Amino acid sequence: MIAFLIRSLEAAMIFTFAGLGELVDQRSGILNVGLEGIMLFGATLGFIAAKTTGNYLIGFLVGIGIGALLGLLHGFFSITLGVDQVVSGMGIWIFGFGMTTYIGNPHTGPLGLERLPTWFGISPFFFLALFMVVAVWFVLTKTGWGLNIRSVGEQPSVAEVSGLKVARIRYLCVIFGGMMAGFAGAVYGLYYNPVWNYNFLMGWGFISLALVFFSMWNPYLLFGGAVLFGLLWQLSLNPQMFFPGLASRYIWRMVPFAMTILVLIFISTNWFRSRWGAATPEALGKPYHKE
Amino acid sequence: MTVAGYQIRLLRRTSLPGWKAALFSILAIVFGLLLFSLIFIQAGQSPREVYKQIFGYAFFNAYGLRLSINRFIFLAFASYAFIIPYRAGLWNIGMPGQLYLGALAAFGVVYLLGGKTGDLSMPQPLVLTLMVLAALVAGAFMGGIAGFLKGKWNVNEIVVTMMLNFIAFNLVSFMIKDGGPFMNVGGRGESFELPEAARAPLLADFPYTLVLVFLLMIGIYLLFARMSLGYQVRAFGKSPAAARYAGIRPFRISVLVFLMGGALAGLAGYHYFAAVPGVYKIARTYAYFGDLSFYGMISGLISLGNPIATLLVALLFGGLSIGGRSAQGKLHLGFGIDYALMGMLMISLVAFQFFYHYQILITKKTVPQSHPTMTEDLS
Repeated sequence: MIAFLIRSLEAAMIFTFAGLGELVDQRSGILNVGLEGIMLFGATLGFIAAKTTGNYLIGFLVGIGIGALLGLLHGFFSITLGVDQVVSGMGIWIFGFGMTTYIGNPHTGPLGLERLPTWFGISPFFFLALFMVVAVWFVLTKTGWGLNIRSVGEQPSVAEVSGLKVARIRYLCVIFGGMMAGFAGAVYGLYYNPVWNYNFLMGWGFISLALVFFSMWNPYLLFGGAVLFGLLWQLSLNPQMFFPGLASRYIWRMVPFAMTILVLIFISTNWFRSRWGAATPEALGKPYHKE
Repeated sequence: MTVAGYQIRLLRRTSLPGWKAALFSILAIVFGLLLFSLIFIQAGQSPREVYKQIFGYAFFNAYGLRLSINRFIFLAFASYAFIIPYRAGLWNIGMPGQLYLGALAAFGVVYLLGGKTGDLSMPQPLVLTLMVLAALVAGAFMGGIAGFLKGKWNVNEIVVTMMLNFIAFNLVSFMIKDGGPFMNVGGRGESFELPEAARAPLLADFPYTLVLVFLLMIGIYLLFARMSLGYQVRAFGKSPAAARYAGIRPFRISVLVFLMGGALAGLAGYHYFAAVPGVYKIARTYAYFGDLSFYGMISGLISLGNPIATLLVALLFGGLSIGGRSAQGKLHLGFGIDYALMGMLMISLVAFQFFYHYQILITKKTVPQSHPTMTEDLS
């Protein structure tokens, strides 16, 4: 039971890392639907780097680095070139999915390194995730930087007139989002599930994306959602703990995906929107052209 | 921006003539193939040799050509499944889930008729009609969920269709593995084989689904060029707000395009698992075909949603993925070369999106005139 809860929290921390990056990204008005692709890249390249060098630190750094590069690429496409953000995000996802399947294949199998240490059975990354939640909340709501990020995401033309460099702020945010996603992927591939397999991320990037919509761009709610989905994911893998003999394992594995859809429906209803919907960054997904 | 006395400006295009769009699409593919050849260089192979191998096998080898055509049919359906919602500005990335469900439904018909254990007593045309209808309905159902949710509550269709893919993926496993109803008695984790009467007949070596590809091409072309519904879909895709003022109901549009898209993806599933010679079962590696259907998204985007152009692209991609697999074996390239190709083509396509929307204007910098006029060169 304890192991089950710990495992759930560890899944939650990965959703949290990826989601926080995307949250900052979206607060600045950039939608990145290619989260899954960046996470796949971070997980795969981080895995290969750690496996070949035998050094975890290099693995994580590679994960963060490739995430930053892909974030930059998304920024270049969507901010500088003015490409539709969904097209660019989809491109990064398919690019990540296709390339990592090819690159990772020769490394299929376990990482073969000693497991990373834990504190009282919980990964230190979990505490890092908690810290990041508070830090992102603090920066976004209590500091001048956060105000700048939010104003760029709400009214970019007004922000520009009041002296903010919209493109620069957005670039920094997408790079941060990419780094967080790459790191989340690396934690997945090096700690949570250190056995490389084709498409082993199983849609976690898309679930994280859904969690950002669910969170109404509030880091605390994002974390709550992440814990909920961590629990759900573990339940779907170990249904016999609570419901022995009920339904096939394949049916159970559908549960987190079905829940994601239900959560999205819930937050999209008029009832919900009329109470909380105002939180959506106004300029989200709209390309901005400096006049 | 000014470089050496020349002024470089970006102009936003208001319209793009057809031949230019085609040119950019071709350039995007060529650039993607150039990027792809980096992989061969990295693997120590000459790109020229590899491409010779790929195209030679895919289009100039009798056996390879048959495989390419079969894959072309599959990709054509997958592209149609993407195109129709795309013209309405909606993203259907649920082709895998829709085609899994289509395949399950087609096999379900055979299962209900007792085809798991013996041959069918029903006449073949009737069996085939029922299978195709079941695949269409099941795919449409799967697509319809996303369309309904989008239309009713504006639920993000990208996440929904992706989640449905994973749900359908597990549903197929449930049906064909671990003693599921469709499991092969051999217990190899794949479905039962279709009896003779349920296999698609060949017309001159090719499954009859090839004819459907061309009929549907005409149908989709007419839908967008001639029919009021197609016009509404396009108007909605260009500007949902303006379309609403024109009396177009968003709910109806998003449900209809996803029903149609899903049905066509279901047909793709029917084709690969029930009509390709030598398959006739849902293989253990069925996820591969789900992944392949994303090529449909790329060909739909590259052809800008044009059903005729998309066929050419689908033919090329079908051949490339078949030839790539063959080159992978012959030249000892890494596994998953067709996945890498997909990634390279996609990223190249995104980069070329820029040219669809902007043009670069390079002019010699001149001394400002007394009456500066705004130049809006929109040619």
